[in-house]
Parts: sequence; structure tokens; C-alpha cells
Amino acid sequence: MKLKKSLQDILKDLNSSSQFNENIVHWKTIEEKEAKTTHLPDDLHPSLQKALQERGISNLYTHQKSAYDAVMQGRSIVAVTPTASGKTLCYNLPVLQTIINDSNARALYMFPTKALAQDQKTEINELIAGTGLNINSYTYDGDTSPGIRQKVRKAGHVVITNPDMLHSAILPHHTKWVSLFENLKYVVIDELHIYRGVFGSHVANVIRRLKRICRFYGSDPIFICTSATIANPQELAEELTENKVKLIDNNGAPSGKKHFVFYNPPVVNIPLNIRRSATLEVRKLAGTLLKNKIQTIVFARSRVRVEILLTYLQELVKHKLGPKAIRGYRGGYLPTERREIEKGLRSGDIYGVVSTNALELGVDIGQLQVCIMTGYPGSIASSWQQAGRAGRRHEESLVIMVASSSPLDQFVISNPDYFFSKSPETARIHANNLVILIDHMKCAAFELPFKLGDTFGSFEADEVLDYLAEERVLHQNGDKYYWMNDAFPAHNVSLRSASQENVVIIDQSDIANVRVIGEMDRFSAMTLLHDEAIYLHQGRQFQVELLDWEEKKAFVREVNADYFTDANLAVELKVLEQDKSRSGGYGEIGYGDVSVRAMATIFKKIKFETHENIGSGPITLPEEELHTNATWISLQENLFQSDQNRLEQSLIGLSHAIKHIVPLFVMCDPQDVHVVPEVKATHNQLPVIFFYDRYPGGVGLSEKIFDNIEQIMNETKGLITRCQCESGCPSCIGMDITSSSAKKDVFTLINSIHTGEKYES
Amino acid sequence: MSLKNKLNRLKPFLGTEQPKKETIKSSSLHNETEIPFQSEWEKAGFFPFYFDQTYCLVREKRYPLHARHGTYTLNEFIDAVEAWNQTDINHPLSSAGHKPSDLFFFDTETTGLGGGAGNTIFLLGHASIAGDEVIVKQHVLPHPGAEVALYQSFLTSVDYTTMVTYNGKAFDWPQVKTRHTLIRDQVPKLPPFGHFDLYHGARRIWKHQLERMKLSIVEKEILGVQRQDDIPGYLAPMIYYDFLESKNPEGMLGIIRHNEIDILSLISLYTHISFQLLQFEREQTAKAAYETGRWYAALGETAAAELAFKKLLKGNEPEKFKAKYELAKQYKKNGNVNKALSLWKEVAEYGEPKQMFAACIEIAKFYEHKEKDYTEASKYAYKANRLLSAKQQFPIPNNENIQKRLDRLEAKLSKEQLILISMDKK
Repeated sequence: MKLKKSLQDILKDLNSSSQFNENIVHWKTIEEKEAKTTHLPDDLHPSLQKALQERGISNLYTHQKSAYDAVMQGRSIVAVTPTASGKTLCYNLPVLQTIINDSNARALYMFPTKALAQDQKTEINELIAGTGLNINSYTYDGDTSPGIRQKVRKAGHVVITNPDMLHSAILPHHTKWVSLFENLKYVVIDELHIYRGVFGSHVANVIRRLKRICRFYGSDPIFICTSATIANPQELAEELTENKVKLIDNNGAPSGKKHFVFYNPPVVNIPLNIRRSATLEVRKLAGTLLKNKIQTIVFARSRVRVEILLTYLQELVKHKLGPKAIRGYRGGYLPTERREIEKGLRSGDIYGVVSTNALELGVDIGQLQVCIMTGYPGSIASSWQQAGRAGRRHEESLVIMVASSSPLDQFVISNPDYFFSKSPETARIHANNLVILIDHMKCAAFELPFKLGDTFGSFEADEVLDYLAEERVLHQNGDKYYWMNDAFPAHNVSLRSASQENVVIIDQSDIANVRVIGEMDRFSAMTLLHDEAIYLHQGRQFQVELLDWEEKKAFVREVNADYFTDANLAVELKVLEQDKSRSGGYGEIGYGDVSVRAMATIFKKIKFETHENIGSGPITLPEEELHTNATWISLQENLFQSDQNRLEQSLIGLSHAIKHIVPLFVMCDPQDVHVVPEVKATHNQLPVIFFYDRYPGGVGLSEKIFDNIEQIMNETKGLITRCQCESGCPSCIGMDITSSSAKKDVFTLINSIHTGEKYES
Repeated sequence: MSLKNKLNRLKPFLGTEQPKKETIKSSSLHNETEIPFQSEWEKAGFFPFYFDQTYCLVREKRYPLHARHGTYTLNEFIDAVEAWNQTDINHPLSSAGHKPSDLFFFDTETTGLGGGAGNTIFLLGHASIAGDEVIVKQHVLPHPGAEVALYQSFLTSVDYTTMVTYNGKAFDWPQVKTRHTLIRDQVPKLPPFGHFDLYHGARRIWKHQLERMKLSIVEKEILGVQRQDDIPGYLAPMIYYDFLESKNPEGMLGIIRHNEIDILSLISLYTHISFQLLQFEREQTAKAAYETGRWYAALGETAAAELAFKKLLKGNEPEKFKAKYELAKQYKKNGNVNKALSLWKEVAEYGEPKQMFAACIEIAKFYEHKEKDYTEASKYAYKANRLLSAKQQFPIPNNENIQKRLDRLEAKLSKEQLILISMDKK
């Protein structure tokens, strides 16, 4: 039997064995970093000092000390902290110190998920127990039993909750929380970077409501935020809290030597440029590591992938390590299960964890030696979060990113400099998106009446109040506006759904167990959930039996078909008003309000593998209209000697590539921004590519694109240039285009944009 | 683009669309000394109560004690309080230690149907006994800016120790506390009250008889109150919004009447529930008597419980054997096992399947553990088991694991057999 290999041996293997090294496109070594520490603050209460020392903490890292000092001076902060750098002390220390000095003081902790809240409760309670003082900290969420709720409201020094609960259960019932709101000194916002896009815009408004209620009860809390590394933590914190926020980024936590390896699976079909599946490559890599008992965490982008990989790996090492040596981890695990995994990792009973991005958040399961990502996680920020799972403080660690065939993955893997040198993505919110804002102004009016001349956060409210009074949602009496509706407004507002009215997907395969398996926004539902559509859910095929558009329900049944469906969506964009414009080296660029009208027309049934068209059918759904913000870039009219077909084809191909590049510049999911080409736009009769926000009213994504369009076009061009396919593949311009000159045409097109010259061919 | 334009463009997404009506813009600043439709209000008996530059509308209405509301006269409420004062029975709804005038009957109407800070109370109504009259007092909020006057008016006119409500513990009183919190610096503190919430009592006694426990249904089915042209409570918010715009009290008077009947019904309901509990109700239904007995049993008021169950023994109601079973439970609790056993045996013979089953188990336990008579015990255990396998379905009481019991009894029986055999051999 072979001897067990160490991580160092494996690193050598990766470097030398042709099995691996041909696929390694980049190897970056990040040197170890010493801890930077400083003594405990002098004014820290002796009982807290004692509690810290009991936990083996006799010094603070520099960022913890800076956070403590700033907060004790009464300043709001955002601390940027990588994984495992002791961020919780950044808020727990000043909060507990304040409560020890004034037992009336209260703090509200907000975590994006219940699981994190539970984790943090355990953490802070251990610290409190160490002080031996009587400080109450409770979680308040959907699981809190009614018996204890009263106690939490009256006597909780630290109330730990999530934004949804704050929005729908605490703020609308603020009169039951008088002692919290009268004495609220701190609001802790952990995982700040999660609050971006639509969700972040909602939460910004929830915070406006929170501050409004605090003012009513005479408190003015300080905000303590922690964030993973993003490009604009301070800006995001200031936009979210509308307070002046000090940035703390002098991270003093130590880190071991880290090897970051970019791994691109080999090409198996050269003309189509199809690579071997990332999942299979990960199985091989993780299998090698696990067989040598090297503790490894594997990330996959979906729950199905997690399950597939878990089965593969358990099978692979079943005899060697036993079935329990590798565990899955998805959202929704209980703290006890996590403790068990954590314990298993420490004791060495567990070698591997396969996880979705649920573990990206601060949930602590300890540190492992190796991290493997199945595909680029979607953003630089989450890549670093996941990479942070590997590497104990003083040991060498390895991170392997295995690329999939998607354009974004291929872009990242072939641009390591870009990945390592660029600061991560910018998180954008748009708190004044009218759709979101008005929802929360309704909630706010329910909570406390508005007064003429009031602002809602920084937003001047008069016009909206007038509008709501006209619509009979509010009642104006004298100079005050009162909620006058028998509804409970917070129940109609979900912070997390991207669209107000989603289509619910109901699986009726099993008559006895009809259940909801998902939801989808109306716009996407038109092309993905029409009658007879084949809908893919977690790797299983379902056929839509009925789409009830009125009730927003799609009834599906599981099937086993050898085809998929592809619907045509006729989209018409109309520029309503141009707010900004400029002409760069790329032609005319505009930004403003647009109306998007979309109508699904027909669908085709397309056979897997051969891509034959084996049938079609009409779709009878009403036209949908969306008002939102968009950025658009106008091209010249005489391209391809006015060959409309070639022009259209190359516009489609270019848009396909751009769509995947966009998330690199704006922190969002690919479906948050739509890229739509038009051969002849209605407003200027020119070929135009539109980028619009998927959410009514926009959440600031397309505005960010307006500022960065040059860079996006440049990177798109690079992506297409570097792609090794012959005439287009899923990794660059997509497969929708049939002509063999497609790739060349797209290239021509992007060049014409670049030079601004007329192209004659 | 101007905000107004944007608002109009986005309208389909804002979820604010309401049927359009002619909007009457309320004049921006009221002259608070001038009361719209004042003569209509006065005709209905409402007069303004001024406070802090605003006002609310208040009406006081008096009824003589001999007035009848449903099957009871208001006088009988005084009998009920006296009866509580004379009995030894403890009960959460007992008014022992109180005078009839200590209690006040309280109900609200609100602008929303759920809870929350934004649900405004626009009508506070209460009633109490004063001398030979019942006084009903109602305070109306003329517009949402007048809450300070409303609560001032209410709080200066209530001076009692205990309030009586229907579901007030969960709804009315928390809502009063909520609205009071919002203006707590401008009005007197809320005094502490005792609280009899009749909703839970009514539920206990009549839940098997009534489909829904709304006050209007209880009073109709149980108290014989006939409302004429009543406006259902759920319309209250709409009527109030309408009133805010039109200022015309016409619709409001319907809600006010509704509230008044609710309050008067509370008096009759308290009387009726008390009579049920004190068991001098003239025509108590068997169901109600049985549920009263169970209520006492749950409270540990054994004597009162036994009394209630005994009333049912002679009759021929379906409750007869249920009552026997419950009575046996009380006997068992008091250590009177033999009395319990004979009742169980009756139930095991003639009761309904669920009680039969439970009685058989009790008997089996008795023979197994007390008498060590395993033959007799298994006879009843098998009988219980047959009930289970019969088609009739009923929930199995106390997580009884009948199979385990049977197995154990079989084991004990065969062990006994072995001993007998071995004794024979000797």
C-alpha cells in the first residue's frame, strides 16, 4: 500500500504530473502574513478582560482595536474582514462594554439568515457567560416561541434578528418594543455585502423606517457593519444606513501561505470548444485529496451539483474512510448538525465537506486545508469568501478553482491578472427606486403618521405622500398623513423577491403530495413556464400542464422528454426619457427611463444533442410591460452593407457574450441585467444594444454600466478573441447563430464600435 | 423625468390602484370649534368633548335595569355577581370580592382587522352599572388627528377595577395599549385593570355546539339576541374611511349601534356564563353542563366538577356516559377507585367507542396493577383492542400502546401458568 501523501506532496504532484499540470493555467502563491496585534483597551471592563482571557485572547488584532475605539467614540463603522479574522469582536466588545456600563442600553443585531443569527447568539452568550454578568441576548425570529417573545421585547439587551423579521414583525409592532427603541445604542449589520441590488434597496428602506421609529422614541443608534471584501464597503454602508461611516480595513489577522490554482478542464470537442465537465474534474481532484486524508471543502453552485458530487465522493472513498467521512452542507442545516460537522473536522472523523454557497456566509465550521470551487462562484468577492474557508492560521493551504464552459468562467480563468489585481465588485443599491420606496413608505405610514415636509431617510416625501393620499392609501388630515387602509402593509412586501408578483410553480406529479417547488418572475415565466414548456428544476424535467396567468400559478408534472423548449420573446424597447448621454470611442451611449414591452409568441421543441426542431406551438399570453432604467449603446447603420440578417445575427452573438461579462462589473446575478439588441431601435432608427434592470424602476445596475461601458466592451472583445472555438461556442457568442461566419461577424461588429469607423466588407 | 410622471408610469407596479372616486379634498386645517354635521350628531345623542385644541364625540345612554337584552334582563347580572360572592367555588371568571359596579364592559372598533401600530381605534365603548341603571358610554374619533382627545375622554370616564371583554386579551386591549403608547406623553397613564375575557369561556362551553365563536353568533344562538339591520363588524373600516371623507355620520351610526349591542351582549353573556358555571341555569343543555364540568375538572375544582357531571347521570343524553367517564376520573383522583370502577364498567358496556376504549384501558390497568388479576385485565385489554380494529375511528387517548399492554399481559399470564404448572408438579 502506498504511503499517505501530505499536502506538500500533492502540491508537487499537481506541478509535475501531466494528469494535472496541463490543465493548470495559473498558479499564484500568496505569502503568509504575521498577525498584527495590540493590547486590550485600557478601559475595557475587568469582567470582559477576564472573559476574553478565558478564551485565550490577551491581545486584539489591529482592526478589532480600531473598531472598538471608533465605536466607543460614537462613530458608525464598517469593518472589512476576511473569513476567520475574528470579526465578531468588532461589535461584541463595544456593545458588551456599553451594556456593562449602562444596563439600560440595547443593541439590535441583524444577520441575513436565521442560521447565522443562531450561530452568533451562541458566540455572544459564551462571551457573556465568561463575564459572569447578567446580560440577556436573544434571537427573535419566526422560530421564537410566543412564550419568550414578551421577555425578548422587554428585557433583551441584545436582540438578534434578520431584516425580514425587522420589517414584518418588529417595526410594525414597535409599540411593543418601547424599551428597545428608547434605549437603542447600536445596530449591528453583519455581512453587509449581502445587502445589494433589490434586497439591499429594500433593506435600506427598512433601515429608514427603523431610524424613523428610533427618532420617535428619542434614540439615535450607531451602526456597526461588517463586510466581506467588496470594492465599495464604505459607500454601501453609507447608502444603506444614511449615516457617516468610518471604514476599518486594517486587518491584523494572520494567514498562512496560500496556493491559488486556476484549473481549466481539457477540451474534448475542438470545433465546438466543449470542455470536460467541471464536476468530473472536481471529482478527480477532490478524490485524490480525500484518499490522502487531506481535509477538503468543495463548493458547487447548486444543490443538485452538491448532491451529485457528494455521491461521487462518498462512493470513491467509502472503503477507505467510511461513509460518514464526507458530509454535505446546504442551507437550512441546524446549528447542532453544523456543530457535529465542525467537531468531526476537528477530531479528524470528517475529511470532506461539499457545500453550496450557504457556507460563504460567516457560519463557522472551522478551517480546512484545501478548497475546491466547481466553477467560478459568480463574483470575485464570493471567490475570496470561499477561498477563505481553506487555511488555518499558520498552515499552508490550497485553493483550486475549476472552470466550467460558461463565458464568465472562461473569462476569469484566462485572465488571472484581472482576478488578482482588480478590486472586487461594487455593490449597488438604489433605495429610491420608486416601487420599493413606496412599498416602504406605506409600511412607514402604518408605523407612524407622516407630516408635511417630512423626509423619509434622505428622500423628500411630500410628492409621494400627496400621491398616496390621492390614491386613498393615506388620509390627509391637517398637515399629517395617516395610514387609512384595513391591510397590514408589511405582509404584502417581500424583501427578497425580485418582482412583486411571482409565478408559483406547483408540482402535481404526485397527486397526494402536490407542492410548490419554486417561483419565477412574470417576465421570465412568459418564456419558461408557458403551457407545454419543459421546465428544468434541480436537474429534473417537468412539463407545464397549465399556466394560470390570472392566478400566477404554473402546474407542472415530472416527465422524461428527449427535448427542451425554447420560446421566442418579442421585446420592444422604447426610450421614454434620456437622462444622461455621452459619446465615447464607442459611439453614442445613453442612459434613462425605458419601457420594455414583451410578448411571448411561439415556442419550439428542440431535441437534445442533435438540436433538431421537432415541433412548435403558439403561446397565448398577454403582453407585459416593464418600466425601468437602461443604458444603451448606438451603432452605425450601414454595417454589413445593410445586410439585416448578418447584422442581427452578430448583434445577438455579441449580446450573448456581453451578458456574461456584465456581472464582473456590477455585483449582480446574470439575470438581473438583461441585454437586448435591436437592429433598428425606435428612438433613433439605429442598431442599438440595450442593458436594462430587470426590476421595475431599476436598482442602479444599468447606471453603473453606463459609467463602465468601455471596459465592458473591451473585456467582451478579449473574451471572444481568446476563445479557441472556430465559429462560436457557448463560451463566447453562444450557439443560437447558425452561420459559419458568425464569429467573424461579431468580431467585425465589436471592432466597428471600437474604432467608431464605418466598416465596409 | 419628474417624480409625478414616474409615479404615474410605474403605477401598475406600485400596488396602490384603488377604484377612483370623486375625491373630496379635506380642507387642510380644520377649525376645530366647528364640527361637521354637528346637528346630526347631536340628534343621535353625541356631544363634543374638547381637549388640547381638538375634540372627540361622546354619547352617554342609560338603560333601566329591568330592560331585557335577549333572554336576560340586566338585573340578572347583579344576581350573577351576588352568586359568585356567595359560593366557595374558585373560577377565573368569578367576580367574588367585587360589587356589580366594579365591572365595566368594553369593546372597540378599529380601522384594520389585524394588529400593529397602524391599526387605529375609532370607537371606544363601555358600559357599567350605576344605581338602578346601566350606562353605555361611547367615544368616537372624528378624524385621526384627534386621538389625544379620544383617550383623554375615555381615561377620565373609566374608574373601575375589572374590565369584561370578548377576545379583548388578544385584540382590543393590546390595541388600546399600542395607540396609547403613541401619545403617552399627552394623556394620563393606562390604569391597571383586572380582565375577564369571555371569549375563552364561551369557546370552552360551546365550541362543540357552534361553528364559529363570533360574539354575534353566540348571542344569537345562546342568548337569544335578535339584531335588526345590523352592520357586520368587518365593514367597520370601510365605513369609517367613508365617514372621514364625507364627514356624514349616517354610516357611522350603524357601527355605533353595532358596538352598543356588542357591549350589552357582554353583560348578558357574563350573566349566562356565570349561571352555567354556578349551575343554576334553568335549562342548561347537556353539552354545556358536560363542558362546564370539564372546565372545573381542568381547574382542579373537583367538587364543582362532580356536581356538574352528576347532573347528567340521570338523563338519557349522549353525554351521559361521557359524564360517567369524567366522573370516574374525578373519583380515581380522589382515591375512590371502587366507585370509579363501577362507572368504568358501565361506560365500557354502553358508552361511545372513544370512552369505551378509555374505560376498558382503565379497568385493565386496575386489574393488572391493583388486583394482579391478569385474566380479567386481559379480557378488557382485548375488548379495547377489538374497538380499535372495528371500523369506528376515534383518536387514541393518552398515547395508549395497546399492543404493548397485550404483550405484557400475555407474558404475565404465561408466567403465572408456568408457576401453576410447576406448583402442580411439586
